[in-house]
Amino acid sequence: MVVYSFYIFDRHAECIYKRRWLPRPASITGGKSSRPTSEASAPATSTPALLGQSARTTDDDAKLIFGTVFSLRNMVRKLGGEDDNFVTYKTSQYKLHYYETPTNIKFVMLTDIKSPSMRIALQQIYINLYVEYVVKNPLSPVEHPGGVGVNNELFEESLEQFVTRVLS
Amino acid sequence: MSSTTKASRIGEELWKTRVDKVNAELVTLTYGTIVAQLCQDYDGNYPEVNKQLEKMGYNIGMRLIEDFLAKSNVGRCANFRETADMIAKVGFRIFLNIAPTVTNWTSDNNQFSLVFDENPLADFVELPDDGRAQDELWFSNILCGVLRGALEMVQMQVEAHFVSDVLRGDDTTEMRVSLIRYIEDEMPPEEE
Repeated sequence: MVVYSFYIFDRHAECIYKRRWLPRPASITGGKSSRPTSEASAPATSTPALLGQSARTTDDDAKLIFGTVFSLRNMVRKLGGEDDNFVTYKTSQYKLHYYETPTNIKFVMLTDIKSPSMRIALQQIYINLYVEYVVKNPLSPVEHPGGVGVNNELFEESLEQFVTRVLS
Repeated sequence: MSSTTKASRIGEELWKTRVDKVNAELVTLTYGTIVAQLCQDYDGNYPEVNKQLEKMGYNIGMRLIEDFLAKSNVGRCANFRETADMIAKVGFRIFLNIAPTVTNWTSDNNQFSLVFDENPLADFVELPDDGRAQDELWFSNILCGVLRGALEMVQMQVEAHFVSDVLRGDDTTEMRVSLIRYIEDEMPPEEE
């Protein structure tokens, strides 16, 4: 199976971590084809056009994904009761896996459509990686505006290992 | 009560299997040193010391809740009564190996007391004999902050304070916990 990307959102609805392993499936990139042109004309981009573009579209992806999982989760709770939660959804291009902690931290992973349920994997990322390397690091801030404290070496390396060794 | 016994069982189980233990004296002495240093830094201004301890606890609680959830793997509590049992029988058990008694509920189920039969933070402690500490210092006030920080992360705003302490010569050590409100989900900021 293939992992495309991984996101963490905190209780303030902010994306505090995102990671991409492979180019997004064509349909997502295609859907946003109008975007690069408007950005190319922006004078602020002193970085190479390609780099700036890809960084910005990941930001957009994160916002889109948050909006989607947030609405889906609220809808699911309305229909299925307060304790209900959605686990995954699938399109013809990708599968989105979702895990939310009682502290409202949301873990999202996009994989190829043949992958099995990643709920346990996301929970393990929370328990064994996020809590161990981010929360328990006494010198990292309690909250992570802009991703500060989450992007530490231990966490990123173990995540990398987890995804490449355990999940493939 | 069934939810209480269930919580006790979870707490016992976790304490036995999932918790790394440390030496109790180390905890007592470390905490005592912090309080003593604060008393010195604030020149015996005990209300300020209480406040600082609460603040430190708050920051600890916000992290500790994640460890609590990771270890216990319990879901959301259905009501505040269940929350109280979770705190007393699971939370205090796995972090301090004590299980305070939950009691004195108000009729609206929004306020309860935790009565501590034992308190590892306060072993060997005798409050300063300056005529004020006995009336002003809440030695274990860090615990109030821990509860406030931890519960805020699971969408409950609470207020917690000690109402009596055996260190002051009271018969019991009692903390009062009040639910102020459930915190709504935050929405992402509106875009232009």
